Amino acid sequence: MWSSQTWILLWGAFLETLYMVGFSTILATLGGLPLGVLLVVTAEGHILSHPLLNRILGSLVNVGRSIPFIILMVAIIPFTRLVVGTSIGTSAAMVPLTVAAIPFVARLVESALREVDYGVVEAAQAMGATPWQIITRVLLPEALPSLLLAVTITTINLIGYSAMAGAVGGGGLGDLAVRYGYQRFRVDIMLLTVLVLILLVQCLQALGDLGARLVDRRRRGAS
Amino acid sequence: MIEVRQVSKVYQVGGQPVVALRDVNLSVRRGEIYGIIGLSGAGKSTLVRCINMLERPQSGSILVDGVDITRLEGEELRAARRQIGMIFQNFNLLQSRTVAGNVAFPLEIAGVPQAEIKRRVSDLLELVGLTDKAKAYPAQLSGGQKQRVGIARALANQPKVLLSDEATSALDPQTTKSILRLLLDINQRLGLTIVLITHEMQVIKEICDSVAVIENGTIVESGPVWQVFTEPRTAAARNFLRGVITPELPPEVLERLIAEGGGENQILRLSFLGEQAGQPLISSLIRLFDVDVNILYGSIDHIKDIPFGTLIVEVKGGGVNPSRLISYLRGRGVKVEVIAGVVEPDLDSAVGGLS
Ligand SMILES: Nc1ncnc2c1ncn2[C@@H]1O[C@H](COP(=O)(O)OP(=O)(O)O)[C@@H](O)[C@H]1O
Ligand SMILES: [Mg+2]
Repeated sequence: MWSSQTWILLWGAFLETLYMVGFSTILATLGGLPLGVLLVVTAEGHILSHPLLNRILGSLVNVGRSIPFIILMVAIIPFTRLVVGTSIGTSAAMVPLTVAAIPFVARLVESALREVDYGVVEAAQAMGATPWQIITRVLLPEALPSLLLAVTITTINLIGYSAMAGAVGGGGLGDLAVRYGYQRFRVDIMLLTVLVLILLVQCLQALGDLGARLVDRRRRGAS
Repeated sequence: MIEVRQVSKVYQVGGQPVVALRDVNLSVRRGEIYGIIGLSGAGKSTLVRCINMLERPQSGSILVDGVDITRLEGEELRAARRQIGMIFQNFNLLQSRTVAGNVAFPLEIAGVPQAEIKRRVSDLLELVGLTDKAKAYPAQLSGGQKQRVGIARALANQPKVLLSDEATSALDPQTTKSILRLLLDINQRLGLTIVLITHEMQVIKEICDSVAVIENGTIVESGPVWQVFTEPRTAAARNFLRGVITPELPPEVLERLIAEGGGENQILRLSFLGEQAGQPLISSLIRLFDVDVNILYGSIDHIKDIPFGTLIVEVKGGGVNPSRLISYLRGRGVKVEVIAGVVEPDLDSAVGGLS
């Protein structure tokens, strides 16, 4: 029903979105995970209690979270240029995506680790565990199901943001929808793009749920 | 093994100081099971958590095997902590690890080689009777099984001391008994010193050698369990003992007995420990003092493994001097408590001195 050219366009945009979202999710996790861990362990009374550092980090994260993405994207253009040499294109879009997602990931990681019963942390302390051992062998493994869900939510959010980034020259499905669907009145391509986005989000959520459930189920001993 | 000296701990709650421990002194001998009993909020957890520095006291010192643990920091403190096992009311197991993984955890932390870990984990699981559950996750275990994992984990680094913070309080009476028996077994087999916290006198009675009663952050009474059980000196201790081994007469029964006796009769609680529990006491009383003895209550119980007998008797007639009768009993090593009756002033303590 559509020309093969439409499919090629769609496929290309789909890959661009995957590339953008995939890499920025990985980078945001690499940045957000340690930050989230720090937010937890430097809290007063925790294993590396440092209330001042904790407050500073918390404020930074809040600032990052409160800037609307579209403004952030424009505001950090100089930084983007510095990192990837240009402010236009798929690679350039990954910079604001990653920067926007880091504080988001940090908060999700923080709340995931807070769910871990502090009694278990104390038990590890009583056994003579170092803070690093407590982070890597207690907090992170215990929170694994919540962490998997956090990554899922981040990925899905980044798909939404990537469509916005696409609209200002980043490529991907959002870009396609705006350029063809809106500017050239190709409502069919617009709808098709939206459909692909919906399917993508559904699949990712299902995958994330499945991962978290598998880990959880194994621990509960259900077969 | 553990010397707690003048330890005080104050928490700041909303800017207000809350004194959790006040000048606490405690001396735990090597190889004994030392019970600490108190009501909720008395400071039990704070005290036991000071012994491995989960809480830092503001003042005082705590010597564990000769080392003042309050002076240790960093790696020195962690090394000292590996010598002190701890078990908890809520077990605090890692949900992400199997039973074997939980027991292996402290060994991994201590850098024990894998082969050695495998061997020790299997020994420990055998010790606590969970060999067949090695691959199960904590969520699949009963409370008693979880605590067995907790015990195996606490023993993994072959500690000198085991701290137990209400380890049986979340368990039913049957399971409590089996866990206590396991602790006693470990204490006897490994010679491990155990400090055990509880709010139940039953727990103290089953396995402890010594007991301290803590009230509002202060130790109000301490000593060998048999002594505190047979001669409690404080109201706090008596309250905990109520119903455990010293039966109370219902007040209406007591009133009736006093009324019927016209103030002439004596109601006494007699307690015997160990050997004396078997001696024919009542018949010799009747013979020597020419009195009627009416047994209102009798029981034989155990404090740890010492037999312990209690009798509540009514003594009538004979126009006997009650203080002579009481001093006779005390002379035979029987603990006497006058529940109702005539006792001359000061006599009680004077005679007590002879026993
Ligand atoms: N972390 C804490 N912060 C503030 N107050 C505490 C803390 N832990 C204990 N307390 C207070 O110290 C007192 C003793 O508590 P605790 O040692 O837990 O008693 P127990 O174990 O005998 O029930 C209580 O008044 C309690 O409220
Ligand atoms: Mg407590």
